[in-house]
Amino acid sequence: MTLTAPAVGSPIAEEKPRKIGQNAWWGAALTAAGAAGAAALVAADRAAEWGRPGAFGFFWLGMLVFTVPAVWWICRRETTPLLRTSVLIAYACFTYLPKLLRNPTGPLYHDEFAHWRQSRVILLDGRLFDPNPIVRVIGDFPGLHSTVAALSALTGASIWHSALAVLIAAHLLVVLGVAVLAGQIWRDGRTAAVAAIAYSLNSSFLFFDTQFGYESLAVPLMIWTLVTLHRAMRATGRRDRAGWSATTVLFSAATVTTHHLTALGLIAIMLVFSAAVTGRRGAGPAAWTAWALTAAAAGLTAGWLFWVAPKTAGYLDPYLGRALDQIADMANDGGSGGRTLFSKSVAPWWEQKAAFAAPILAFAAIVAAAWRLRRHRDPDPVGRGAAVAALLVGACYFPAALLILTPSGAEGARRSWAFSYLGLALVVAPLVVALLDRWARLAGPALAALFAVMLVGNTAAGMNPSYRFPGPSAYGSDTRSITPEVLAAANWLRSTQGRGLRIVADRYSGLVFGSYGGQFPVTGSVTFPTYDLYLAEPGRPVPQPLITQLSSWNFGYLIVDRRMAEEVPEIGIYFETNEPIPHDGHPAFTLGQLTKFDYTPWTIKIYNSGDIAIYRFDFTSIDSPLGGPR
Amino acid sequence: MTLRILAAAVAAAGLLALGLPVLLPVVALVALLAVGELWLRALGLRERPLGLAVVSGLISLPMIALVLHLTGVRIEARTLAAGLAALALLLGGVALLRERSGPPVADPDFPRTLGAIAISGVVALVVGGAATFAYVRMPHPPQPGYTSVALGGWAADIDRPVAFPPRGLEVPIRVSSAGEPDVVAPLSVRVGDRPAGPPRPVTISADSTRAVQVHVPAPPDGCLHRIEISLGAASTVFYGRGPGRPC
Repeated sequence: MTLTAPAVGSPIAEEKPRKIGQNAWWGAALTAAGAAGAAALVAADRAAEWGRPGAFGFFWLGMLVFTVPAVWWICRRETTPLLRTSVLIAYACFTYLPKLLRNPTGPLYHDEFAHWRQSRVILLDGRLFDPNPIVRVIGDFPGLHSTVAALSALTGASIWHSALAVLIAAHLLVVLGVAVLAGQIWRDGRTAAVAAIAYSLNSSFLFFDTQFGYESLAVPLMIWTLVTLHRAMRATGRRDRAGWSATTVLFSAATVTTHHLTALGLIAIMLVFSAAVTGRRGAGPAAWTAWALTAAAAGLTAGWLFWVAPKTAGYLDPYLGRALDQIADMANDGGSGGRTLFSKSVAPWWEQKAAFAAPILAFAAIVAAAWRLRRHRDPDPVGRGAAVAALLVGACYFPAALLILTPSGAEGARRSWAFSYLGLALVVAPLVVALLDRWARLAGPALAALFAVMLVGNTAAGMNPSYRFPGPSAYGSDTRSITPEVLAAANWLRSTQGRGLRIVADRYSGLVFGSYGGQFPVTGSVTFPTYDLYLAEPGRPVPQPLITQLSSWNFGYLIVDRRMAEEVPEIGIYFETNEPIPHDGHPAFTLGQLTKFDYTPWTIKIYNSGDIAIYRFDFTSIDSPLGGPR
Repeated sequence: MTLRILAAAVAAAGLLALGLPVLLPVVALVALLAVGELWLRALGLRERPLGLAVVSGLISLPMIALVLHLTGVRIEARTLAAGLAALALLLGGVALLRERSGPPVADPDFPRTLGAIAISGVVALVVGGAATFAYVRMPHPPQPGYTSVALGGWAADIDRPVAFPPRGLEVPIRVSSAGEPDVVAPLSVRVGDRPAGPPRPVTISADSTRAVQVHVPAPPDGCLHRIEISLGAASTVFYGRGPGRPC
């Protein structure tokens, strides 16, 4: 096993007995550090939820008190391979803890509600591919939901606990997978472990790719597909090559059925690997194998997108198109129209500074790694090709960072970093090891400081504080606007009227009614502008085409959240990203616009709890005049 | 060795199918790891990196679910367990055929590696589990409370104007309170713009749900009238016609 192979030139193998006592001592110390770190992470969440100062400080104290000594131990030349593996596993487990503590008992992030619902539907109905009202394409990518639902069905555990088991396993597999891939490329266990640590610095590692979302399973599948691809390229015998090739096809199929963007990212990385090996002396069979497997993966992806998930292109296209338009607008308007990073953020100044420093440090690292790669030529053509491919993939991180400045491209940019950081980590790892070997005394502390800055900065750039920390209820926050009142309304509707009802809702009510409530909410779009219902002024008619659409598509219920007239949504969205609603720092609705449904005969108010009201549509009464004394 | 792994996989799948509520997560883990290992043996992979069997085992679940879906079989515990057993038998058979030409290379370090991972995993489980358990059990800030009013019983199904008999109707409503103290709120009924009578006080106990019958008098004529039942700040609204001639 590459990962457990001793570091190049390591004298460890001969010194095992002498080291056992020392390693046991360090193991105990690291366990104590882990316990202290976990306690500090709990303290951070407690401070945040009670509104006390110090949440950010406690959080990073907790993270660094464990990770810095763990990384030091992993990077030490003297650490035995077995212990390095052990610490790496501990590191992977520990880095899942912030997300686990954020929502240990149920879904919280926007996409988690969609995936939770999808798994539940599989359990209830016993079939795949049900449409999902929260994220409309996820039904066509059942890899994660079917795994979670199957585990839940087999073990009797809840969907959430089954999801946590799958996600923790996936997180461990990410760390192990990067280490194995790096070990295959550099043929050194220490470099392999350093690459895994470097990959863990990416923006999505702590919070985004640990959520109950399809990329959390797809990213490890992608990494392991690259592991098997590299093995297939290196294989010497026909049988060996056939076995690794079949495994590569199997894993790439699993990636395709799990997540669209990761499947596309996988093909792009495979293409770069294939191209980087092509033409190298002695790499003919490896290149042919790489191209054949890339073609197979591309064929599987194209087939899936064409026959099973044809909606995917229409789902992804507007994001990229709008992002490019916004970049063009920014260029033409001298920078206006873009996003201001950390605008109104409550993140402390040092997190914000670190977020700006992290890409600069990454750039310096990749330039130095490229220079080193040029000077130290690997005689093995496959190894050399893979290293060049990693450099090219890593370089993609920087143009993608430009997209973060556009409202529509920011989400895509964040997602791409899980791919590009893989290249960065692979190519920078040997540089780190070389620095540690050459200038151990200076490089050690300097690299520890760089590790801390990049971990802090990238995490701050990747996720809003409201996603990272609990806090008081806030309208218009995906993670904090879900109150017991909304949950009770959703439960009441499901228990009295059944599930699968077509309802009109805002983004935040829609999350709860669409997941826990088991309903089919629509939150508006250009072609189905349900937000016009809310926007209509009291006494003015609702647009007839919209009523016709609602009636003909059997929409039965309307959810109204009064907070829309009282508060400004924290993330600046009432319904969907491109809603035609002004965001000028004041609530976009008046109370009259929201309570007008109390006086229209075609909306029967069947439930009310102060902020939340549920109306049943009666389109047959839309033209009925109220009579008698009113 | 392959036979033992196959036996373990099939036995674990059998236990999962029976659904005995004892250590099912551990049995599922054994089944997945065994199937994962069988994948690697069936594919003839000689030197296997750490973690590959876990990936292979994990992807077996969606694969089985997909096959069940395509064959029109309902995805549930028994069919999934049967699928796992069938997959294990298939992979085990292929692996045994392959091994005729020579057994796979055993990794002498595997037990030690497994031990190192197990120690890390158990320590992480204890530390992380304790932290998470403690956090969940600690007191958290109270969430905002609410009082809800909903149409109940037959009234919850009102989907058009209600035809009132001359004596009026008893309309059931459901009153629920959570996170708020005991309170006495005025219950009032309006038919059109007119109050149907003086408000009557209703006690709403903290954290309770109760049904309340509300008498709603018939609207004065056959025209469409708005009927509002309110309890404190919350209300329900529906429409109805009296027994008179329709407008």
